[in-house]
Amino acid sequence: MTKTIKTDVLVIGGGLSGCMAAINAADHGAKVAIMEKSHTERSGAAGTGNDHFWFWDPEIHHRRGWTIPDMVRDISFDGEYGKTKGGLMDQELLEIVAEGTKEAVDNLESWGIQFRYDEIYPWNLQYEAPEGEKRFRIVPQFQSEWDTLNYDGRDIKRRLTEQCLKRGVEIYNRVSGTGLLIVDGKVVGATGVNMRTGEFHVFKAKAVVMATGMDQMRLFRAQSGDWFNSQSPPYITGDGEAMALRAGAEVFILQAGKSRNAGFQYFRNLSRSSGTATTCYPAGRFVNSEGEVMIRHPAVREPLRKRREEVERSIAEGKTPFYLDLTDASEEEIRYVEWSYGHEGLCWVILEIMKDLGLDFRKDAFELELEPTGKLSGGFLALYIDTDCHTNLPGLYACSPVQFAGEVAAPTYVVLGWRSGEKAAEYAQEAAEPTLDAKQVESEERRVTAPLNAEDGHPWQEVNKEINNIMEEYKGYVAGWNLPREDAEVSRAGLENCIAQLEKLKAAEMKAEDPHELVRCNEVMNLIDIGIMMVKAALEPEQHERGIWFLGRQVEGEPEFRKTPIVIKYPSKGDA
Amino acid sequence: MPPVFNEKCTACFKCVEICPGDVLREGDGKPKVAYPDECWHCGACMMDCPADAVRLDLPLWMRPVTKRVK
Ligand SMILES: Cc1cc2nc3c(=O)[nH]c(=O)nc-3n(C[C@H](O)[C@H](O)[C@H](O)COP(=O)(O)OP(=O)(O)OC[C@H]3O[C@@H](n4cnc5c(N)ncnc54)[C@H](O)[C@@H]3O)c2cc1C
Ligand code: SF4
Ligand code: SF4
Repeated sequence: MTKTIKTDVLVIGGGLSGCMAAINAADHGAKVAIMEKSHTERSGAAGTGNDHFWFWDPEIHHRRGWTIPDMVRDISFDGEYGKTKGGLMDQELLEIVAEGTKEAVDNLESWGIQFRYDEIYPWNLQYEAPEGEKRFRIVPQFQSEWDTLNYDGRDIKRRLTEQCLKRGVEIYNRVSGTGLLIVDGKVVGATGVNMRTGEFHVFKAKAVVMATGMDQMRLFRAQSGDWFNSQSPPYITGDGEAMALRAGAEVFILQAGKSRNAGFQYFRNLSRSSGTATTCYPAGRFVNSEGEVMIRHPAVREPLRKRREEVERSIAEGKTPFYLDLTDASEEEIRYVEWSYGHEGLCWVILEIMKDLGLDFRKDAFELELEPTGKLSGGFLALYIDTDCHTNLPGLYACSPVQFAGEVAAPTYVVLGWRSGEKAAEYAQEAAEPTLDAKQVESEERRVTAPLNAEDGHPWQEVNKEINNIMEEYKGYVAGWNLPREDAEVSRAGLENCIAQLEKLKAAEMKAEDPHELVRCNEVMNLIDIGIMMVKAALEPEQHERGIWFLGRQVEGEPEFRKTPIVIKYPSKGDA
Repeated sequence: MPPVFNEKCTACFKCVEICPGDVLREGDGKPKVAYPDECWHCGACMMDCPADAVRLDLPLWMRPVTKRVK
């Protein structure tokens, strides 16, 4: 069962960035198809909504003396948030993002997403607007300037889907991308498999935009021990990155990160939105078990960094755990919090469940998880693009994941998606009609569907758990680079052993009972490829620590972060 | 735990269509939870149900821990 689709621009992943790419590619005259693993109306990190949006408005911010470079510098270096980033963010891309945010807001507004309101509150930026005109609800988020909109983005994915369909974009829901097709070094399409019917899809395209999302979920052990208790969608498993790696694309890799802030995380048990840190503006207070206030509200005005002594004193005095406590807030503030929370992904449902459990922000304090200082997080791998969103492979564009520009979240992906759609459409206009390599398609189909045809083999969960075990070892060894010389040798040997284990796991046969499980098996195969690449990068020389991230081995002093990615070709022989 | 569908369900299968985890399938007169362990508890099924027929509970290990203050 194979279905062949011909298009000018193929977008892989119909999340926030992918839908924006598809809309703009269509507006530039291209025939467009989206291949989406789940369903564009509710897929991806923004599936059940977004409630805040970082933006630069020439009218508002310029008047307040803030330019785009000011904003970018603040978020990358100077602001409370920037200080933790160690200058890792890609300045050029961030400037493009900042510049595109106002147009994005205007577009989203014209597609039916509400950004402006009759009523704004004392805790919103008070700014002049012509008589009778609605205003934005602007708050300071993590930065020094009031640069973030609170808005009603619960149905953002539905609105984007409508706009795609209106332009004749063909959406292939439940089709999970599995591989890129390359002829003469050019990307000429991609393959995918439908996770309900098992039908194999072959897309022939003049240009491809990779938009499969920011995460490699399930590569590392889940914080709560449950892969599906996660903030980002547990179904975003680095498929795009793995496809690109196998095709020879350059990637950007950060090794394990180490927390420095002892920051408050989610509600205890619930790896949900960062709501506790952001959405509870303006009323969220972090208190210790005695009700003493650690932070009056979690946005930039009182960064945890400055209050850490108090938090540490509470720990020493046994005044734990810590809580998010809104009970002293005014009714107006609580309503604002609930309004905002209800639009933040994954949080509307928490408000609903709170009703069932008899919980109320007016009466109950919510225990928070406190991240210990020095806790290791997993690494991150992304595609490497130029300012036109082009990768090093002709015909392959990308908007998500891309090198570290993502810390402003949705605005990055909305703007880069938009840009990649335009650039891919322009490329497609000039490109010749692609021809596919039948042998490549055939071998790809065999590789992808093998678990469904296998007589016997391991279920995906078993292999996934083993990947987690190996990657935990890797995390420890990467952190080990900080140790004296002899231990560094131990780390090197350990990392090499991780690669050997992953290679062995890659050869293990998997068994899928149905097309749904087949896609989970493919996710797991992708995680192995990504894991191998991440560990290999850790073995490269010239690595160092920046901000909260290890880029492998720490060297003397703090070298400038260079934009050159570590380039390792797939399949790697270990040579840089 | 994964969603529970009550008698108000009209078997329109909107929830089955949009579930981001591909967890649900069309069942006899109402949806069935085909892959219960893979539910993200995102609430999309509940949000988009036109008949108010979905309730979602959280497993014990996802329940918020709270303290009554007032
Ligand atoms: C709970 C939550 C709340 C958030 N709230 C905010 C907020 O208020 N403000 C803000 O700025 N940011 C917020 N973010 C971040 C923001 O939602 C993301 O930055 C944004 O959605 C990223 O867009 P994307 O296109 O890169 O990825 P996504 O929107 O995640 O889209 C990726 C898409 O690719 C699809 N896909 C994956 N693999 C494949 C494959 N193999 N084949 C086909 N398709 C595939 C996925 O199904 C998905 O649809 C939030 C994130 C979360 C998780
Ligand atoms: S969306 Fe609601 S009414 Fe429709 S099938 Fe699902 S539960 Fe039933
Ligand atoms: S809560 Fe989300 S993942 Fe679970 S069944 Fe409903 S829509 Fe699917």
